[in-house]
Amino acid sequence: MNIFLLYLLLLKATMTSFSGLASLPMVRHDFVERYRVLTDRQLTTAVAAGQLGPGPMGLYVVSVGYSVAGIPGACAGWLAMITPAFLVIPILRFIGKRAEHARAKSVTRAVLMAGAGLLLSASVPLAKDAIHGPLAIGIAVLSFALIAFTRVDTFWVMLGAAGIGFLAFQF
Amino acid sequence: MTRPRLKDVAWLFFRVGNTTFGGGNPTIAVLQREFFERHWLSQEKFAIAFGLGRVTPGTNLLAFCAAAGWYLVGLAGAITAVMVITIPSSILVIWLTGVYDAGVKHPLGLSIISAIIAAAVGTMMGAAVLLVRSGLSKQNWIKPLLIAIAAFVLARLFAVPPLVVIGLAAVVGFFWVEA
Repeated sequence: MNIFLLYLLLLKATMTSFSGLASLPMVRHDFVERYRVLTDRQLTTAVAAGQLGPGPMGLYVVSVGYSVAGIPGACAGWLAMITPAFLVIPILRFIGKRAEHARAKSVTRAVLMAGAGLLLSASVPLAKDAIHGPLAIGIAVLSFALIAFTRVDTFWVMLGAAGIGFLAFQF
Repeated sequence: MTRPRLKDVAWLFFRVGNTTFGGGNPTIAVLQREFFERHWLSQEKFAIAFGLGRVTPGTNLLAFCAAAGWYLVGLAGAITAVMVITIPSSILVIWLTGVYDAGVKHPLGLSIISAIIAAAVGTMMGAAVLLVRSGLSKQNWIKPLLIAIAAFVLARLFAVPPLVVIGLAAVVGFFWVEA
Protein backbone atom coordinates (compact mmCIF):
# COMPACT_ATOMS: atom_id res chain seq x y z
CA MET A 1 0.00 0.00 0.00
CA ASN A 2 1.17 3.51 -0.90
CA ILE A 3 2.58 5.28 2.18
CA PHE A 4 0.65 8.48 1.49
CA LEU A 5 -2.65 6.58 1.23
CA LEU A 6 -1.74 4.72 4.43
CA TYR A 7 -1.19 8.06 6.18
CA LEU A 8 -4.45 9.54 4.85
CA LEU A 9 -6.53 6.50 5.88
CA LEU A 10 -5.04 6.49 9.39
CA LEU A 11 -5.47 10.25 9.59
CA LYS A 12 -9.15 9.89 8.64
CA ALA A 13 -9.52 7.48 11.58
CA THR A 14 -7.67 9.67 14.12
CA MET A 15 -9.34 12.89 12.93
CA THR A 16 -12.85 11.51 13.42
CA SER A 17 -12.40 10.09 16.93
CA PHE A 18 -11.98 11.71 20.31
CA SER A 19 -10.30 8.96 22.27
CA GLY A 20 -7.34 6.61 21.74
CA LEU A 21 -9.07 3.37 20.75
CA ALA A 22 -12.15 5.05 19.23
CA SER A 23 -10.32 5.21 15.88
CA LEU A 24 -10.17 1.40 15.74
CA PRO A 25 -13.53 0.75 13.98
CA MET A 26 -12.49 3.03 11.11
CA VAL A 27 -9.05 1.40 10.92
CA ARG A 28 -10.64 -2.06 10.81
CA HIS A 29 -13.17 -0.96 8.20
CA ASP A 30 -10.49 0.43 5.85
CA PHE A 31 -7.53 -1.91 6.39
CA VAL A 32 -9.17 -5.26 7.17
CA GLU A 33 -12.44 -5.09 5.20
CA ARG A 34 -11.86 -2.63 2.35
CA TYR A 35 -8.20 -2.89 1.32
CA ARG A 36 -7.44 -6.25 2.98
CA VAL A 37 -3.86 -5.32 3.86
CA LEU A 38 -4.25 -6.22 7.53
CA THR A 39 -5.72 -9.25 9.30
CA ASP A 40 -7.92 -9.14 12.39
CA ARG A 41 -5.11 -10.88 14.27
CA GLN A 42 -2.59 -8.18 13.26
CA LEU A 43 -5.03 -5.49 14.41
CA THR A 44 -5.50 -7.13 17.81
CA THR A 45 -1.72 -7.61 18.06
CA ALA A 46 -1.28 -3.89 17.38
CA VAL A 47 -3.68 -3.04 20.23
CA ALA A 48 -1.84 -5.48 22.53
CA ALA A 49 1.53 -3.91 21.59
CA GLY A 50 0.17 -0.43 22.29
CA GLN A 51 -1.15 -1.47 25.69
CA LEU A 52 2.00 -3.15 26.98
CA GLY A 53 4.13 -0.02 26.68
CA PRO A 54 3.80 3.43 28.24
CA GLY A 55 2.08 6.26 26.40
CA PRO A 56 -1.43 6.82 25.03
CA MET A 57 -3.83 4.07 23.84
CA GLY A 58 -3.75 5.64 20.37
CA LEU A 59 -0.19 4.30 19.90
CA TYR A 60 -1.61 1.16 18.31
CA VAL A 61 -1.83 3.01 14.95
CA VAL A 62 2.00 3.03 14.84
CA SER A 63 1.93 -0.77 15.05
CA VAL A 64 -0.80 -0.90 12.37
CA GLY A 65 1.40 1.20 10.07
CA TYR A 66 4.36 -1.07 10.81
CA SER A 67 2.38 -4.25 10.02
CA VAL A 68 1.13 -2.80 6.72
CA ALA A 69 4.36 -1.23 5.39
CA GLY A 70 7.32 -1.75 7.74
CA ILE A 71 9.27 1.17 9.21
CA PRO A 72 8.00 3.77 6.66
CA GLY A 73 4.48 2.62 7.53
CA ALA A 74 5.21 3.04 11.24
CA CYS A 75 6.37 6.61 10.54
CA ALA A 76 3.13 7.27 8.62
CA GLY A 77 1.19 5.84 11.59
CA TRP A 78 3.11 8.02 14.04
CA LEU A 79 2.42 11.11 11.92
CA ALA A 80 -1.29 10.25 11.66
CA MET A 81 -1.40 9.84 15.42
CA ILE A 82 0.20 13.21 16.24
CA THR A 83 -1.28 15.39 13.44
CA PRO A 84 -4.71 16.02 15.03
CA ALA A 85 -3.08 17.08 18.33
CA PHE A 86 -1.77 20.28 16.73
CA LEU A 87 -5.34 21.36 15.88
CA VAL A 88 -5.54 22.38 19.53
CA ILE A 89 -3.28 25.40 18.79
CA PRO A 90 -5.66 27.20 16.39
CA ILE A 91 -8.50 26.19 18.73
CA LEU A 92 -6.62 27.83 21.66
CA ARG A 93 -5.73 30.95 19.69
CA PHE A 94 -8.88 31.66 17.73
CA ILE A 95 -11.73 29.88 19.45
CA GLY A 96 -10.55 29.55 23.06
CA LYS A 97 -13.29 28.89 25.56
CA ARG A 98 -15.97 29.12 22.91
CA ALA A 99 -14.91 25.57 21.93
CA GLU A 100 -16.47 24.56 25.22
CA HIS A 101 -19.80 26.04 24.11
CA ALA A 102 -22.75 23.77 24.95
CA ARG A 103 -23.44 22.86 21.30
CA ALA A 104 -19.77 22.11 20.52
CA LYS A 105 -19.52 19.96 23.63
CA SER A 106 -22.75 18.19 22.72
CA VAL A 107 -21.34 17.27 19.27
CA THR A 108 -18.08 16.01 20.83
CA ARG A 109 -19.93 13.94 23.40
CA ALA A 110 -22.24 12.46 20.77
CA VAL A 111 -19.26 11.46 18.59
CA LEU A 112 -17.52 10.00 21.65
CA MET A 113 -20.58 7.87 22.50
CA ALA A 114 -20.95 6.71 18.89
CA GLY A 115 -17.23 5.84 19.02
CA ALA A 116 -17.88 3.62 22.05
CA GLY A 117 -20.72 1.79 20.27
CA LEU A 118 -18.57 1.37 17.16
CA LEU A 119 -15.64 0.11 19.24
CA LEU A 120 -17.85 -2.51 20.84
CA SER A 121 -19.12 -3.54 17.41
CA ALA A 122 -15.59 -3.74 15.93
CA SER A 123 -14.35 -5.87 18.81
CA VAL A 124 -16.91 -8.63 18.05
CA PRO A 125 -15.08 -9.96 14.93
CA LEU A 126 -11.74 -9.45 16.70
CA ALA A 127 -13.01 -11.59 19.58
CA LYS A 128 -14.19 -14.30 17.17
CA ASP A 129 -10.75 -14.35 15.58
CA ALA A 130 -8.64 -14.26 18.74
CA ILE A 131 -10.57 -16.16 21.39
CA HIS A 132 -10.61 -19.94 21.19
CA GLY A 133 -10.98 -22.31 24.13
CA PRO A 134 -12.07 -21.88 27.74
CA LEU A 135 -8.77 -20.34 28.96
CA ALA A 136 -8.86 -17.55 26.37
CA ILE A 137 -12.56 -16.90 27.13
CA GLY A 138 -11.73 -16.70 30.85
CA ILE A 139 -8.84 -14.27 30.25
CA ALA A 140 -10.97 -12.05 27.97
CA VAL A 141 -13.92 -11.94 30.41
CA LEU A 142 -11.64 -11.21 33.38
CA SER A 143 -9.76 -8.48 31.45
CA PHE A 144 -13.06 -6.93 30.39
CA ALA A 145 -14.37 -6.87 33.96
CA LEU A 146 -11.12 -5.46 35.40
CA ILE A 147 -11.04 -2.60 32.89
CA ALA A 148 -14.76 -1.82 32.84
CA PHE A 149 -15.50 -2.05 36.57
CA THR A 150 -12.27 -1.55 38.55
CA ARG A 151 -9.39 0.93 38.42
CA VAL A 152 -6.72 -1.67 37.61
CA ASP A 153 -4.25 -0.39 35.02
CA THR A 154 -4.30 -1.93 31.51
CA PHE A 155 -0.57 -2.66 31.78
CA TRP A 156 -1.11 -4.99 34.77
CA VAL A 157 -4.01 -6.72 33.03
CA MET A 158 -1.78 -7.46 30.03
CA LEU A 159 1.12 -8.54 32.23
CA GLY A 160 -1.21 -10.82 34.25
CA ALA A 161 -2.48 -12.38 31.01
CA ALA A 162 1.13 -13.01 29.92
CA GLY A 163 1.74 -14.72 33.28
CA ILE A 164 -1.35 -16.94 32.82
CA GLY A 165 -0.16 -17.82 29.30
CA PHE A 166 3.25 -18.78 30.71
CA LEU A 167 1.75 -20.94 33.49
CA ALA A 168 -0.73 -22.58 31.06
CA PHE A 169 2.22 -23.74 28.95
CA GLN A 170 4.07 -25.17 31.96
CA PHE A 171 1.20 -27.25 33.29
CA MET B 1 4.37 32.00 36.95
CA THR B 2 7.91 31.26 35.72
CA ARG B 3 8.61 30.75 32.02
CA PRO B 4 10.57 27.49 31.63
CA ARG B 5 13.36 26.77 29.15
CA LEU B 6 12.56 24.50 26.21
CA LYS B 7 14.99 21.82 27.34
CA ASP B 8 13.36 21.68 30.80
CA VAL B 9 9.95 21.29 29.16
CA ALA B 10 11.32 18.57 26.87
CA TRP B 11 12.83 16.67 29.82
CA LEU B 12 9.63 16.86 31.90
CA PHE B 13 7.39 15.57 29.09
CA PHE B 14 9.96 12.91 28.19
CA ARG B 15 10.26 11.67 31.76
CA VAL B 16 6.55 11.65 32.64
CA GLY B 17 5.29 10.50 29.23
CA ASN B 18 7.56 7.50 29.00
CA THR B 19 7.36 6.25 32.56
CA THR B 20 3.62 6.54 33.25
CA PHE B 21 1.58 3.53 32.21
CA GLY B 22 -2.16 3.36 31.73
CA GLY B 23 -2.82 5.90 28.98
CA GLY B 24 -3.84 9.55 29.05
CA ASN B 25 -5.47 10.34 32.39
CA PRO B 26 -2.70 9.07 34.73
CA THR B 27 -0.11 10.92 32.60
CA ILE B 28 -2.09 14.18 32.69
CA ALA B 29 -2.49 13.84 36.49
CA VAL B 30 1.30 13.52 36.97
CA LEU B 31 1.99 16.42 34.59
CA GLN B 32 -0.54 18.59 36.43
CA ARG B 33 1.29 18.07 39.74
CA GLU B 34 4.67 18.84 38.15
CA PHE B 35 3.36 22.05 36.48
CA PHE B 36 1.87 23.37 39.72
CA GLU B 37 4.94 22.53 41.83
CA ARG B 38 7.18 24.41 39.41
CA HIS B 39 4.71 27.31 38.96
CA TRP B 40 4.81 26.83 35.21
CA LEU B 41 1.09 26.85 34.51
CA SER B 42 -1.86 28.47 36.30
CA GLN B 43 -4.93 26.47 37.33
CA GLU B 44 -6.95 28.32 34.71
CA LYS B 45 -4.58 27.58 31.81
CA PHE B 46 -4.31 23.96 32.88
CA ALA B 47 -8.13 23.71 32.87
CA ILE B 48 -8.33 25.25 29.39
CA ALA B 49 -5.61 22.92 28.02
CA PHE B 50 -7.39 19.93 29.56
CA GLY B 51 -10.86 20.98 28.36
CA LEU B 52 -9.78 21.83 24.83
CA GLY B 53 -7.66 18.65 24.64
CA ARG B 54 -10.88 16.70 25.07
CA VAL B 55 -12.70 18.46 22.22
CA THR B 56 -9.74 18.15 19.82
CA PRO B 57 -9.90 15.09 17.54
CA GLY B 58 -7.45 12.23 18.03
CA THR B 59 -5.73 11.19 21.23
CA ASN B 60 -6.73 13.54 24.10
CA LEU B 61 -3.34 13.21 25.83
CA LEU B 62 -1.43 14.46 22.79
CA ALA B 63 -3.74 17.44 22.27
CA PHE B 64 -3.35 18.28 25.96
CA CYS B 65 0.46 18.06 25.66
CA ALA B 66 0.42 20.29 22.55
CA ALA B 67 -1.75 22.85 24.37
CA ALA B 68 0.39 22.80 27.56
CA GLY B 69 3.63 22.97 25.51
CA TRP B 70 2.18 25.91 23.58
CA TYR B 71 1.38 27.79 26.80
CA LEU B 72 4.85 27.06 28.24
CA VAL B 73 7.15 27.97 25.32
CA GLY B 74 5.03 28.54 22.22
CA LEU B 75 5.01 26.46 19.03
CA ALA B 76 8.43 24.91 19.73
CA GLY B 77 7.07 23.77 23.09
CA ALA B 78 3.99 22.17 21.51
CA ILE B 79 6.03 20.29 18.90
CA THR B 80 8.68 19.23 21.44
CA ALA B 81 6.11 17.98 23.97
CA VAL B 82 4.30 15.84 21.39
CA MET B 83 7.58 14.47 19.93
CA VAL B 84 9.26 13.49 23.20
CA ILE B 85 6.11 11.87 24.51
CA THR B 86 5.45 9.77 21.37
CA ILE B 87 8.80 8.86 19.77
CA PRO B 88 10.26 6.57 22.49
CA SER B 89 6.92 4.80 23.09
CA SER B 90 6.44 4.39 19.31
CA ILE B 91 9.84 2.71 19.01
CA LEU B 92 8.86 0.40 21.87
CA VAL B 93 5.55 -0.45 20.14
CA ILE B 94 7.37 -1.31 16.88
CA TRP B 95 9.78 -3.51 18.84
CA LEU B 96 6.88 -5.24 20.68
CA THR B 97 5.09 -5.86 17.36
CA GLY B 98 8.28 -7.56 16.11
CA VAL B 99 8.53 -9.59 19.33
CA TYR B 100 4.91 -10.79 18.89
CA ASP B 101 5.52 -11.72 15.25
CA ALA B 102 8.62 -13.73 16.18
CA GLY B 103 7.19 -15.09 19.43
CA VAL B 104 4.23 -16.93 17.89
CA LYS B 105 6.68 -19.30 16.14
CA HIS B 106 7.67 -20.85 19.49
CA PRO B 107 5.17 -22.93 21.54
CA LEU B 108 5.82 -21.03 24.80
CA GLY B 109 5.71 -17.68 22.98
CA LEU B 110 2.47 -18.67 21.28
CA SER B 111 0.89 -19.58 24.63
CA ILE B 112 1.88 -16.22 26.17
CA ILE B 113 0.92 -14.16 23.14
CA SER B 114 -2.45 -15.92 22.72
CA ALA B 115 -3.22 -15.00 26.33
CA ILE B 116 -2.15 -11.37 25.75
CA ILE B 117 -4.26 -11.15 22.58
CA ALA B 118 -7.32 -12.51 24.44
CA ALA B 119 -6.72 -9.90 27.15
CA ALA B 120 -6.38 -7.16 24.50
CA VAL B 121 -9.85 -8.01 23.15
CA GLY B 122 -11.27 -7.99 26.68
CA THR B 123 -9.69 -4.62 27.48
CA MET B 124 -10.94 -3.20 24.17
CA MET B 125 -14.53 -4.08 25.13
CA GLY B 126 -13.85 -2.79 28.64
CA ALA B 127 -12.58 0.49 27.16
CA ALA B 128 -15.82 0.82 25.17
CA VAL B 129 -17.90 0.35 28.34
CA LEU B 130 -15.67 2.86 30.20
CA LEU B 131 -16.20 5.39 27.40
CA VAL B 132 -19.98 5.02 27.68
CA ARG B 133 -19.84 5.28 31.48
CA SER B 134 -17.73 8.45 31.27
CA GLY B 135 -20.50 10.05 29.21
CA LEU B 136 -23.36 9.14 31.55
CA SER B 137 -24.53 11.21 34.49
CA LYS B 138 -27.62 11.11 36.71
CA GLN B 139 -29.21 14.05 34.88
CA ASN B 140 -28.10 13.04 31.43
CA TRP B 141 -27.99 9.39 30.49
CA ILE B 142 -30.73 8.76 27.94
CA LYS B 143 -29.10 10.60 25.04
CA PRO B 144 -25.53 9.21 25.41
CA LEU B 145 -26.82 5.67 25.97
CA LEU B 146 -29.17 5.88 22.96
CA ILE B 147 -26.35 7.15 20.72
CA ALA B 148 -23.96 4.40 21.82
CA ILE B 149 -26.60 1.66 21.32
CA ALA B 150 -27.70 3.11 17.96
CA ALA B 151 -24.07 3.25 16.76
CA PHE B 152 -23.54 -0.38 17.79
CA VAL B 153 -26.74 -1.54 16.06
CA LEU B 154 -26.08 0.44 12.86
CA ALA B 155 -22.52 -0.92 12.56
CA ARG B 156 -23.15 -4.47 13.73
CA LEU B 157 -26.54 -5.30 12.20
CA PHE B 158 -26.70 -2.98 9.20
CA ALA B 159 -22.95 -2.73 8.36
CA VAL B 160 -23.16 1.07 8.16
CA PRO B 161 -19.58 2.41 7.64
CA PRO B 162 -18.02 4.02 10.78
CA LEU B 163 -17.62 7.46 9.15
CA VAL B 164 -21.36 7.59 8.39
CA VAL B 165 -22.21 6.61 11.97
CA ILE B 166 -19.83 9.30 13.30
CA GLY B 167 -21.42 11.87 10.97
CA LEU B 168 -24.94 10.93 12.09
CA ALA B 169 -23.87 11.19 15.75
CA ALA B 170 -22.42 14.67 15.13
CA VAL B 171 -25.74 15.78 13.57
CA VAL B 172 -27.70 14.37 16.54
CA GLY B 173 -25.29 16.11 18.96
CA PHE B 174 -25.69 19.40 17.07
CA PHE B 175 -29.49 19.46 17.15
CA TRP B 176 -30.12 17.67 20.44
CA VAL B 177 -28.32 19.77 23.05
CA GLU B 178 -29.07 18.76 26.62
CA ALA B 179 -30.17 21.45 29.07
